Amino acid sequence: MNRWTFLLVFIALISVFFSVSLGREVSVTDALQVLWYHASFGLGSPPDPIVDRIVWNLRFPRTLLAFIVGGGLAMIGAAMQTLVRNPLAEPYILGISGGATAGASLFYLGFLPPLFSKALSMPLAAFLGGLCAIIIVYSVAGSRGRISVSRLLLAGVAIASLMGALTSFITLSSPEPDRLRSVLFWLLGSFHLAQWSTLVWPTIAVSIGLVVLMILSRPLDGMLTGDESAHSLGVAVESMKRILIVLASLVTGSIVAASGAIGFVGLIVPHAVRSFTGVTHRKVIPASFIGGAVFMLWADVAARMILPNAQLPVGIVTALCGVPFFLILLHKKQHHFG
Amino acid sequence: MRTVSIILFILIGCSPELSGERSVEDDLGRILDVSPTIERIAPLAPSITELVFAAGAGSKVAGVSTVDDFPPSIDSLPKYNLIPMDFEAIVSLDLDLIIASEQVNTLKDADLFASVGLPVFFVVVNDLEDITQSIRNLGELLGTSMIASHRASELEDSLSLLQLRTADIKSKPDVLFLIEHTTLYAFGEGSYIHGMIDLAGGKSLTEDMSLRFPILTDEFVLTSKAEVIVGTFGDGFEISQLLEAHPTWDILPAVESGRVYNLNSDYYLGPGPRLVKGAWVLAEILHPEMMSNP
Repeated sequence: MNRWTFLLVFIALISVFFSVSLGREVSVTDALQVLWYHASFGLGSPPDPIVDRIVWNLRFPRTLLAFIVGGGLAMIGAAMQTLVRNPLAEPYILGISGGATAGASLFYLGFLPPLFSKALSMPLAAFLGGLCAIIIVYSVAGSRGRISVSRLLLAGVAIASLMGALTSFITLSSPEPDRLRSVLFWLLGSFHLAQWSTLVWPTIAVSIGLVVLMILSRPLDGMLTGDESAHSLGVAVESMKRILIVLASLVTGSIVAASGAIGFVGLIVPHAVRSFTGVTHRKVIPASFIGGAVFMLWADVAARMILPNAQLPVGIVTALCGVPFFLILLHKKQHHFG
Repeated sequence: MRTVSIILFILIGCSPELSGERSVEDDLGRILDVSPTIERIAPLAPSITELVFAAGAGSKVAGVSTVDDFPPSIDSLPKYNLIPMDFEAIVSLDLDLIIASEQVNTLKDADLFASVGLPVFFVVVNDLEDITQSIRNLGELLGTSMIASHRASELEDSLSLLQLRTADIKSKPDVLFLIEHTTLYAFGEGSYIHGMIDLAGGKSLTEDMSLRFPILTDEFVLTSKAEVIVGTFGDGFEISQLLEAHPTWDILPAVESGRVYNLNSDYYLGPGPRLVKGAWVLAEILHPEMMSNP
């Protein structure tokens, strides 16, 4: 473990601890007592039930979800930027998030026939929406067994617009206007509904994504040089593109389903990370994962604490804090990409 | 420049008298020139429709919004969209006046209507007293002050009776009023809902929140130790749905004692005359023994 990795893991652990401990209602020592009680399988005096629930059932799953979502978005962002060889790429560029939000809105605002809506849940509806979007984008971008990156980007942007319009139409003409407020909050991205059970799908999807991207880190390096050069380096370019698209759909779909569409993290974190690590994916992917996770944790801490006893959608905080930071970084550092 | 001012003064300053218009002040302090006999009006929020009907001027309502559903006699009236505002449909109703709610509508909307010569009268309702005052004001504005005054007095009597019933209550339970059960929207500082809860013999837990509609955290709810949870959770709501969305609430006093109640949103979410009925329903929920006595 080199110095940088050690530092990143250390920052991640400290951030998790503070995210669980910080809040208006519970002190750091109370939080420590709860964590120790659960980590030691019930050794020591049982904590106050309210404090226990706040730390163990609310803050801890919320912290872990923020960690996984932030890490997942940043890691997929790095991979997407390599796939399309464009620094503007991010996890939502292929229209997945647009499709997922449209799917979730359709479900939640009562537009689906009862037969469908009984078989679905909001996360599943979001995932299916994202899948539909990516299938359309993918079929438009592919011809004769090859995927054109420029067509992929253009189709992605177009589908994202279409899905955005569809979501707006759904929300404005909803047969259940009372539920609009919830959907609007969710559309802006938030971890306020996090429970232990919410963690299952994003954890599985993001873990698969991280492992696959680490295994593919060398071919990913090759892809940065362009299709022809990558091919001559022995990279199966077309298969790589397909794997990356499927992986992005899986990870982004499960993330959007759990926490709504949280912007900017997937775009800015990989760029920030490359300033320190260089462009090698063996470093960029794990560093993006931890960088995204830590950034999202602190954004969520802010979303929870800016307003007394009330909360903001975390998507607002990621944009408000992330974008100025990104602009300063762009201005100060020599920017590396590819 | 002086000549222009004089011409403007003649055109603007004298026109009301020339056309027989009168000047009225709305709740935002705006001075409007309106026709002396207002025959056709359009309300821009469901609560305003209710206030106009309560003021005895229901027959002057020429159209209502698509989200209006009370009173039933509005069913046959032309409908218009509020979000986004369907200006064309509203203007084509050949109106004398539009009545808007400060909570729902903006001054920009009013400017647009003013540009086609339609005055917009804003009504502000911040508490239960404002409701009866608004009914009286609307009665005066629309020429139905006798009926309006009678109806306002009836509502005031009802509120006074409720106040009398709950005046002696010593222990006021901590009440959490939620607008929804998944994303925890609530009423914050300055809302009429806290006055209703107080009148019904309870203490609202979100009274001091700085936002108008704060989104509560689960942590706040847990530490608030709410004794009663009431909310407009929609048809078919069951307490299990609340616990499914917020499993940690199982130790809340309200949940442990089964004091979670689903309320009819019509009585609480729009600041209209039906809030008075809502206050009575709340009182019956909070103090069933006291309210069952005649």
